Amino acid sequence: MSPKTFRSIGQFLLQIPLWLYFAVSIYPLFWMISYSLKNNDEIFVTNPFGLPTHFRFENYVNAWTQFNIPRYFWNSFVVSIISTLFILLLALMFAFAVARMQWRFRSAVRTYMLVGMFMPLQVIMIPLALLVRDFHLTNTYGALIIPYIAIGLPFSTMVFYGFLVSIPREIEEAACIDGASIYRLFLGVILPLALPAIATIAIFQFLNNWNEFTLAYILISDENMKTLPLGLLFFQGSYSTDWGAMGAVMTIASLPMVLVYLLLSDQVERAMTVGSAVKG
Amino acid sequence: MNKYLGNKSALALFLLPALLLYSVILIYPVLQTVVRSFYDWDGLSTAAFSGFANYRELFNDPLLSTSLKNGLIFALVLAAFQIGLGTVLALVCANPRTRGRKLLKTAYFIPVVLSVTVVCQLWIAMYDPTNGLVNKLFELLNIPYRQNWLSSPTQSIIAIAFVNAWQFMGYQFSLLYAGVKAVPEDYFEAATIDGCGKWRAHWHVTLPLMRETYKFCFTIAITSGIGAFVQMLIMTNGGPGTTNYTMTFMIYRYAFMESNYGYACAVSVLLVLISLIATVVINKVFDRGQNA
Repeated sequence: MSPKTFRSIGQFLLQIPLWLYFAVSIYPLFWMISYSLKNNDEIFVTNPFGLPTHFRFENYVNAWTQFNIPRYFWNSFVVSIISTLFILLLALMFAFAVARMQWRFRSAVRTYMLVGMFMPLQVIMIPLALLVRDFHLTNTYGALIIPYIAIGLPFSTMVFYGFLVSIPREIEEAACIDGASIYRLFLGVILPLALPAIATIAIFQFLNNWNEFTLAYILISDENMKTLPLGLLFFQGSYSTDWGAMGAVMTIASLPMVLVYLLLSDQVERAMTVGSAVKG
Repeated sequence: MNKYLGNKSALALFLLPALLLYSVILIYPVLQTVVRSFYDWDGLSTAAFSGFANYRELFNDPLLSTSLKNGLIFALVLAAFQIGLGTVLALVCANPRTRGRKLLKTAYFIPVVLSVTVVCQLWIAMYDPTNGLVNKLFELLNIPYRQNWLSSPTQSIIAIAFVNAWQFMGYQFSLLYAGVKAVPEDYFEAATIDGCGKWRAHWHVTLPLMRETYKFCFTIAITSGIGAFVQMLIMTNGGPGTTNYTMTFMIYRYAFMESNYGYACAVSVLLVLISLIATVVINKVFDRGQNA
């Protein structure tokens, strides 16, 4: 064997771990989608590993009509959209004031906001639950939206701050000379310039809020107010005998986020890992 | 110009909404947690100051040692799997001859965007003793290793930690891959020309230059191990018995099931302190390597 073929075999062997982990990462999901289209007999005995022999789409019809899935979807959507929009608006305004405006305590206020980034959820969870109760917000959208906005702020303001400080000073001078008000400057000049950062934060916050579990679990008990991660929790106990329908429910629930990821994979990866640049 | 950018009413309008919400929903609860940890408090009646009584009780709580042990195991599984294996995968994937890089990266990242509930339910099915994929695989390969993964008091914590490690592998992989890519290729080539083997060159050249990446990855892995909660809540409800308890699980139980809020606040404070210490230690360890 020539050294060249030897090397290319070596190259090939080196690739094996990559494809092995590819299978570890993807096969459980393939298995889930497969069993969402099977009946119990096929899942347990005749064909546990492969594609279904007969696609039982009735599992999906059952999942969608018998369970509260549309409601959970709607709740997740409302909560995630509203909290993300408010995070974007409030964080961008705050970052603009700290990064561009001239006032005395701005670095102190920025540090104050930065502290929140290092506060784990566990340390605010108890007083927050009582606060929600005392404001009579339990089992309302507000019980989730308001905390999600507040928790999203520190990180988002820091990303926006980093983006806004790099914009040249001449922008404001031009706006001032043109006689534009500071509100016009913010809406007409800064906001369009910040669009790439806004897109990153929008993806990051929407995904986080869509998948948030712990706070929702503590603050929401009303069946009609449950978000998707919460609603799915109770399929396990009551319907565990019908694996096909369970698989269908889980596949339906996962589909939107997987599609968003496949369409925008680079942006999503950048958004999810942007934290390393801020915290590191 | 200064007057233009010092507009007081505009400043108030831009700052106050965020500042107010942040202070009421985040900072006030943090302070409350710290203060209430010194009180005997059921969340309803007036709290009675009790000094360090909650902390004294906490250090004698058998659940604390279980939780600390489980947090440590969880953190180690995350670090070994995500950072250990993740590093190997990132190095191989960054090799210029690797084909299908985009497909690999996508496949690794998909579990990250799934809801933790779906992932936990999926793995409950995977771990099912009779019908689960894991046992069926062992059966297929004729390995006598079938078992009831989630009901073993000693091993279920590892099985649960693995679920978290699996889901967020893609996240750590992205960070590590970006870290490998940020190392200038000349450095690595110079080392291989000097007669270093590939893996030795990576060990001595690439990895030390990824110090900042590792600092962040370890901080994430260790603190999420210490703070783990959702996986044990969904998959075993902290059991069998209390063997899968973690500190967050203690907070959840004492506060929301037993209304022992003051005590639960003390657990929160301890959890944050441990996470802070872990973060500082990780930073120190990686900074010390820099001077050597």
